[in-house]
Amino acid sequence: MLDDNDGRIEQIAHELKRAERVSSSFDARVMRAVRSLPRHARLTLWSRLTTPRRISVTPLSWGLLAASLLIIALATTRAVLVEESTNPAKPITTALFAAPSKKQTPQAVQFVLVAPDAKKVAVVGDFNGWDPKHAGYQAHHSGGGVWSVTASLPVGHHRYSFVVDDSLWVADPIAPRAVDNDFGVTNSAIIVSAQE
Amino acid sequence: MHVARCAVGAIALITSTAFAQDTSTLASRLDKPTYIAVTAIVDSARIAKMPTKPLFDKALEGAAKGSDGPTIIGAVQQRWVRMGAAKQGLGTSTSPDEIRSAVTALEAGASARDLARIRSAGGKRSVTLPLAVLTDLISRSIPIPTATDLVLQLMRSGVRDGDLSTFQRNVRADIERGADPTAAATTRARGAIRSNQPKPGRSE
Repeated sequence: MLDDNDGRIEQIAHELKRAERVSSSFDARVMRAVRSLPRHARLTLWSRLTTPRRISVTPLSWGLLAASLLIIALATTRAVLVEESTNPAKPITTALFAAPSKKQTPQAVQFVLVAPDAKKVAVVGDFNGWDPKHAGYQAHHSGGGVWSVTASLPVGHHRYSFVVDDSLWVADPIAPRAVDNDFGVTNSAIIVSAQE
Repeated sequence: MHVARCAVGAIALITSTAFAQDTSTLASRLDKPTYIAVTAIVDSARIAKMPTKPLFDKALEGAAKGSDGPTIIGAVQQRWVRMGAAKQGLGTSTSPDEIRSAVTALEAGASARDLARIRSAGGKRSVTLPLAVLTDLISRSIPIPTATDLVLQLMRSGVRDGDLSTFQRNVRADIERGADPTAAATTRARGAIRSNQPKPGRSE
């Protein structure tokens, strides 16, 4: 009896130890089933971003790319120069490229208004988008009702006005009047020329 | 090819950044119908390769002064017409600065013929400052024909921009001291022309 059981146990053990034979189409069937499962969107994007790719670039494309980078650098520097030179709140920084010519360099202009009863005075004009809230054009009260602000203006002819207490438009008493009066409020005129 | 497209796109992006900034400022200050009408005029300027800043400025001025939409649109339209007249008077190869200066002169009362005469007197030199000086003289109540003649005389005698600026500052100072504007301008012009003449050689 025991011998029969031993024999059966040995037979079962021998069957269990025997290597499994997998059909050649098994792998293919499994991969097909895996691929058909929905992939997570982030994993798809991540795998796209991290999978190395081979790109062919012609010399012309390289040249265009280099030119565009140079233009971006030039334009950015110029924008920084113009912004810093017209905004008194910011310091002038050293330019990486040649500074604008004297003709283009904005000039410092002082605006003065005597308004003893005013609480707030701003200068607006074609040099700051007529914006009474522009930070660089808020006048400071230096006592005795005298309000002043020094701002950088581009060379040329400009129209401007004072705005008192955010509501009252006042022409500059010492400046000539701009002839055009499209909106019922007369502007003052100033000509800014390059310094010698 | 993909890289080339990116490069061209980058260049276009840079050149349109300033324009986009002006447009967004305008959008925040105008009501929608006015904004649409003004940007249509601005687009006409862009297509004609004319500067757009003078049009933006006029619209922003109107908005800041609390004007209604039709008034703003009318003013922008009028400025656009003057820009066309400025380009016609000064010729096709006119810089944006010259157009802006010419528009101001036209708004002050100068004519397209005056612009053409100043362009002719200037030759290849920029007429931005001469036109600005002309506008300044007119705004100081000097009659337009007198102001134009004075500027033409100064240009034809070879007075450069620096001396032209000095002339304008001197006229302003004289008027502030009480001088008659026309007399002040005529006197100062005569002095500037005389200063610009070559000095006769000394005879031993």
